[in-house]
Amino acid sequence: MLVSLKWLKDYVDVQLAADDISHKLTMAGLEVEEIKNIEPQFSHVVVGRILSVRNHPVADRLLLCEVTDGSQTYNVVCGAKNIAAGDIVPLAKVGAVIPGGYTIKSSVIQGEKSDGMLCSESELEIGDDESGIMHLPADLTPGMPLETALDIGDTVLDVNVTPNRSDCLNMIGIAREVAALTGKKMKPPAVKVKESSEDINALTSVNIIDSDLCPRYTARMIKKVKVGPSPVWLKIRLEAAGMRTINNIVDATNFVMLEMGQPLHAFDFRFLEKEKIIVRKSRDQEEFTSLDGKSRILPAETLLICDGIKPVAIGGIMGGLNSEVKEDTETILLESAYFNPPSIRRSARKLGMSTDAAFRFERGIDPEGVVNALNRAAQLIADLSGGTVGKNYIDEYPNKIPVVRDIPLRIDRIRELIGIEITAKEVVKILRDIGMNLKQNGKGAYLVTPPTCRVDISREIDLIEEVIRLYGYDRVPSNMPDVFITEMEDIPRLKLEEKIRKAMIGNGYTEIVNYSFGTPVAADMLCLRENDERRRSVKITNPLGEDLSVMRTTMIYGLLDTAKRNTNNGCFDLKMFEMGRVFLKRAKGELPEERNMIAGLATGKISDDLWNAGKNVDFYHLKGCLENIFFDLKIDHCKYIPENTESFLHPGKSCAIMMNDKRIGFLGEIHPDVMERIDFKNNVYVFEINMDYLPDKYADKKIIYQEISKFPAVMRDAAFVVSVDLEADRMLNVILEENEDLLENVYVFDVYKGKGIPEGTKSLGLRFSYRASSRTLTDSEVSSIHEKLLQKIIEVTGSKIRA
Amino acid sequence: MINELQQLGKDALAELKDAKTLDQFQNIRTKYLGRKGLLTGILRNIAKVSDDEKPLFGKLCNELKNSLNANIDEALQKHADLKNQQDLFNDKIDVTLPGNAIKCGRIHPVIQVRQEICSIFASYGFSIVEGPEIELDYYNFEALNIPQDHPARDMQDTFYIEDNVVLRTHTSPVQVRIMEKIQPPLRILSPGKVYRRDSDVSHTPMFHQIEGLLVDQGVNFGDLKGILASFLKKIFGESTVLRFRPSFFPFTEPSAEVDIRCVMCGGKGCRVCGQSGWLEILGSGMVDPAVFKNVNYDSEKYSGFAFGLGLERIAMLKYGISDIRLFFENDIRFLKQF
Ligand SMILES: [Zn+2]
Repeated sequence: MLVSLKWLKDYVDVQLAADDISHKLTMAGLEVEEIKNIEPQFSHVVVGRILSVRNHPVADRLLLCEVTDGSQTYNVVCGAKNIAAGDIVPLAKVGAVIPGGYTIKSSVIQGEKSDGMLCSESELEIGDDESGIMHLPADLTPGMPLETALDIGDTVLDVNVTPNRSDCLNMIGIAREVAALTGKKMKPPAVKVKESSEDINALTSVNIIDSDLCPRYTARMIKKVKVGPSPVWLKIRLEAAGMRTINNIVDATNFVMLEMGQPLHAFDFRFLEKEKIIVRKSRDQEEFTSLDGKSRILPAETLLICDGIKPVAIGGIMGGLNSEVKEDTETILLESAYFNPPSIRRSARKLGMSTDAAFRFERGIDPEGVVNALNRAAQLIADLSGGTVGKNYIDEYPNKIPVVRDIPLRIDRIRELIGIEITAKEVVKILRDIGMNLKQNGKGAYLVTPPTCRVDISREIDLIEEVIRLYGYDRVPSNMPDVFITEMEDIPRLKLEEKIRKAMIGNGYTEIVNYSFGTPVAADMLCLRENDERRRSVKITNPLGEDLSVMRTTMIYGLLDTAKRNTNNGCFDLKMFEMGRVFLKRAKGELPEERNMIAGLATGKISDDLWNAGKNVDFYHLKGCLENIFFDLKIDHCKYIPENTESFLHPGKSCAIMMNDKRIGFLGEIHPDVMERIDFKNNVYVFEINMDYLPDKYADKKIIYQEISKFPAVMRDAAFVVSVDLEADRMLNVILEENEDLLENVYVFDVYKGKGIPEGTKSLGLRFSYRASSRTLTDSEVSSIHEKLLQKIIEVTGSKIRA
Repeated sequence: MINELQQLGKDALAELKDAKTLDQFQNIRTKYLGRKGLLTGILRNIAKVSDDEKPLFGKLCNELKNSLNANIDEALQKHADLKNQQDLFNDKIDVTLPGNAIKCGRIHPVIQVRQEICSIFASYGFSIVEGPEIELDYYNFEALNIPQDHPARDMQDTFYIEDNVVLRTHTSPVQVRIMEKIQPPLRILSPGKVYRRDSDVSHTPMFHQIEGLLVDQGVNFGDLKGILASFLKKIFGESTVLRFRPSFFPFTEPSAEVDIRCVMCGGKGCRVCGQSGWLEILGSGMVDPAVFKNVNYDSEKYSGFAFGLGLERIAMLKYGISDIRLFFENDIRFLKQF
């Protein structure tokens, strides 16, 4: 809402500077977002009177004028034809500056001297009219600076009116607040209608069929109007409020809307067939062309204002082209009505028409202000257009609009809820200042009736808010409530997340956050199978774009996409992870399933800027990272099982991550086909784990200290030649299943393929460590166990000892 | 004789002082203390000393011998130390080369802000709760006193999945779900992703919010001011100036917008604060009785306050970031700065 301070002063005598008013409004909940100064875009332009006009002797499109500023007479050559002797016009004298920075100079035009310029509205940026020289009111004294004569120059506050404060979408509402905040008195405009003897009821009628959508419809008739431009004062007001001027009739209705908050509409009565108004809902597939020239098929339940035959306006939203006020309009039917707010909102949204009228109706206008605004606008139209207002007005009011009365208010409740020691006297004063009516209702209690424009107030809490808002939030003392321990615990998964995050960071991975929605082609890019559950994606019905239209079902695509973008930027060595949710559609009527995932990606060098390194990440690097996490979470029963279920992973370089026989995620290299599709050169390794499967109480597993043996260990190495398909785990399991007490540890220390060993085989080097806790083992003791274990391996796996 | 002895001592120490090489030290020892050395020579002449002076002369000779020996030993040790040091120094490395342990990754800046805020509220006794990101219209709007066809819905442009299913526009619906299950007293914090249909330099269609709720008997607006002031001073510094001003949120009444004095210009007015000198940081208010009614809390018995803030906004102010979209582009060169 743009609030002109000059206009505001018509209703409240406020002398404060703009900054102070802004501060007061802001601190009362009407945030001033900007203070704009309107200044005349010209200087040294004065009021001039034309003494004579004659044709230019040579150029027939020019006129020669003598213009006086009261003390001197100037010869001015003029290109516009709309002037005559006696006209009062803006005169830019030599030295004057007009918008655009032009300075007026003395010149000779086609042989005739010109000492100035007569200006149009648009040349002075006072209005849009560029059709000819601007005509000023006849009573202005020549010589007066134009800005003084027209009272140009203003300060405008851009007030952010919250959706609850429909009463402040007009000047009187803002003035009411300013008056209360500054202790001044409000001066509402006096509304008095000079009626002719012709009764409106004899000329027309209003019939409301759908009174649930239009509980009240009032109208007046204004005859013998002359449509023309609005006077300058009106134009200046509307411009300051950010509204374009159209003609004196429409401008008058807009002025009253801005002043009182009641949207109005003027019909050209000659186009209302059968001389009547019928208010009804739209019929099926009904078509209508509104004032903006657009034709639409109206959605069902749209409220229409019709004449005896056809629709002439979309109620509360926009008038129709067929009944628009035109240059030759003589009789006006002026509408002032109350429309059902939710219905206006629904229709305006469906139609995509957010007009100033709809904006006010959907927030709720003052149901008792309808007639006052009707009268105010009718008289203004008559004054501006030379018309006469007919006798009486129509007031069809079939459904009483409920207004709230006698809301109980307890002073103690204010004190309790706000934490202040406010007196009843203060409360009463604050509420009366904003137009509330209070009746004592027992000790420390009142019955409060708000003004009908305050449609946001119906409960005690609404009154408390009013009191505290005007009392001042800054006067409420701060208090630090005692900390108490609630029974509630944080979600266990969050602690787990923090642990994982720390482990990932420590392993060199950087956290990213991608949008939860992405492109629908992700599933195809990842080659997900037709029956893959990750094809059950949730779609957004109104996405910002196709590429942001489905909720992700895996985080892998987002990671790949991010990696791709970073490589485009020249960063090839990437280690990234993301924690977040994926979403899978469930049965109709159920909310989608949301899973908490962690996913990681690695590509390029293990460390991006090491001066003496250069090793690339591989499967085992990422696996090592996961092992670190699981160690940290005290999860020691994870298994990595080769599988070929993830279609986007390299079938030979990927595995499932199993925990207690539950598949909690996967790990592997991205499939070369996928790499080709996304045009990615370096190998990429990814993992994804469903964190919901990780045990809630990861720390429950107690650590029990194992005594460190005082006796030395005996190490024995052995290398086996085995089939390339034999997994290391299988070898180790064979050994571990023997449950040999003295075998402290066994692990793979070397893997070799190539020269020296037969095709189709590999060499696995195992290191055995033997130790007893209570004595030093003898060599022969160790040898006998070791030999036994080697035999077992050979027997079970069919491998050979490598010479 | 005694004078001669003393002069000898002075000479020896002077020579020792000038000596630098191992040979020179050895020569001094031989010259004075050797079998044919000067001190030994004087001692041989002890017979020439009078009987009275003999004990003193003997004592002085001994002292000089010991002291010379000690001085030479010390000088030798120093010399050896110096040489060792020199050898080690010659074996030097270039300490200015960068370290080559694996570089730690970084935590996303928005998550860092979330961690900081959560730990501050943990110290006030708030527990963290979560809820679905794809939410029923009822929890996202209706239960929070934002009815269908209410202009307050304009405040949040919504992504729809179905007619009555939305991407949550704030994390407040979590509070409703918790209140449905748990009776007061309650102190909860719900961080998470939220979605609004908006995209420009200061809006992304997804961003992070933290909302808090405190419900108990006798909670008042002064408590709201106290906790939020304490929190903001912890985040932005003890000297942070703040103001509470009336605003409107459908689920709180009275509602308050909390501004801090602009951290960029100190209140003089700049581009970041839109010349106002103030920055909107969070929305808050006393829980509206209509919300309590929806979860069957008795608003005569209990009162409470709620607040919410956008994490990206805090991170932008903390780190001087002017384009919110940077948080979700995940450019590694951006992320590595935090
Ligand atoms: Zn600033």
